[in-house]
Amino acid sequence: MSECTLSASFVETLFFRKSFGDRLLRSLEYVGFKARSHNAVNACELLNRVLSEQKKYALFRELFQEEWNGSKTSLYRAGRYTQYSERACELFELVHEHCFPLLDYWNDDPEAEFERFAIMPLNFDLCCEDIDLESMRVSYVAGLIFYFQEADIWDFLFQKYGLSQDEFAPVANRAHPGVWKARQGRKTKPLSMLFRLIDHSTGNPWLDLTYCENAEMFEWDKKTIEELTRDHHDAGNYFKNLEQLDERMDADPKGFVSELISFWNNGRIDGLQEAQN
Amino acid sequence: MKHESPFEILAAEPETINPAILLADTLMRRKAAHVLTVEEIIDAEKVLEAGTDEIRTVERHKAVFVKTAPASGSRIPVGF
Repeated sequence: MSECTLSASFVETLFFRKSFGDRLLRSLEYVGFKARSHNAVNACELLNRVLSEQKKYALFRELFQEEWNGSKTSLYRAGRYTQYSERACELFELVHEHCFPLLDYWNDDPEAEFERFAIMPLNFDLCCEDIDLESMRVSYVAGLIFYFQEADIWDFLFQKYGLSQDEFAPVANRAHPGVWKARQGRKTKPLSMLFRLIDHSTGNPWLDLTYCENAEMFEWDKKTIEELTRDHHDAGNYFKNLEQLDERMDADPKGFVSELISFWNNGRIDGLQEAQN
Repeated sequence: MKHESPFEILAAEPETINPAILLADTLMRRKAAHVLTVEEIIDAEKVLEAGTDEIRTVERHKAVFVKTAPASGSRIPVGF
């Protein structure tokens, strides 16, 4: 081989072919593959792994075309999450940054597996979580009197607002069906949203899932990511509603709790015409 | 029902390499920066399914052979 050819090859390697490291890693992977290439089971395992990554790359291109075009992360080298390439990890981070929180809490482990993923519920887990009433929205605490018989809740309402259970009508064991109607009036809608939030029946996975259930796992596809993004945004409406209900509670605690009880028991707020429709 | 011997069954098996092996080889030879299109991924998933099915079939054959009752060395098994 002439000096001139060697030199051209060297220049090509240095300046025109990108990511030598990637090509080296790929070559090593190929050697391993050749050593066991006669084995169909191994081939299927390899295909599974390659397809899993390729599906994430396809999703990356679909969701973040601009970032994909400008990305310099490796398709082969392991990233922050060691079971995935740097490029796949970049997708996880983009979803975390632009769509919804993905990489916190139980997904923070560098060895975490993301073939399917779980989300971190935003609502209180009333089943297993230690409930600290002081840290909750007061309207949410007021809503708990319909679900729990614990004296703590009424003690909290007494200490904060001077409210006593004796002052109010008895609470029915079950909510009136009207509480769950999709169509609500201007006054009853915020109350219905409160009960749905506490009941974990909003239809929004960020609000309805709890820690103690077997975690629902989500797939890496465009539809799922877009739905979760939208649902995460919509979940904010429920918390904004709590802020407004808190203001009503602070302004007239007895009136607010009376409205809650009336709506729970009768599916309407006494004296309010619109809720009866 | 036609009674086939083990030899006949084996001889009748299609003489193809598991498609997963062929596709794995193709994928391993692709350029480092080549990323599969959605259509290629869908096709590859079909090949993977076919490859997995073939493995299951072989495993079923093997399980049947393993369950075959033992016979004395002097007796030639049916089909051989």
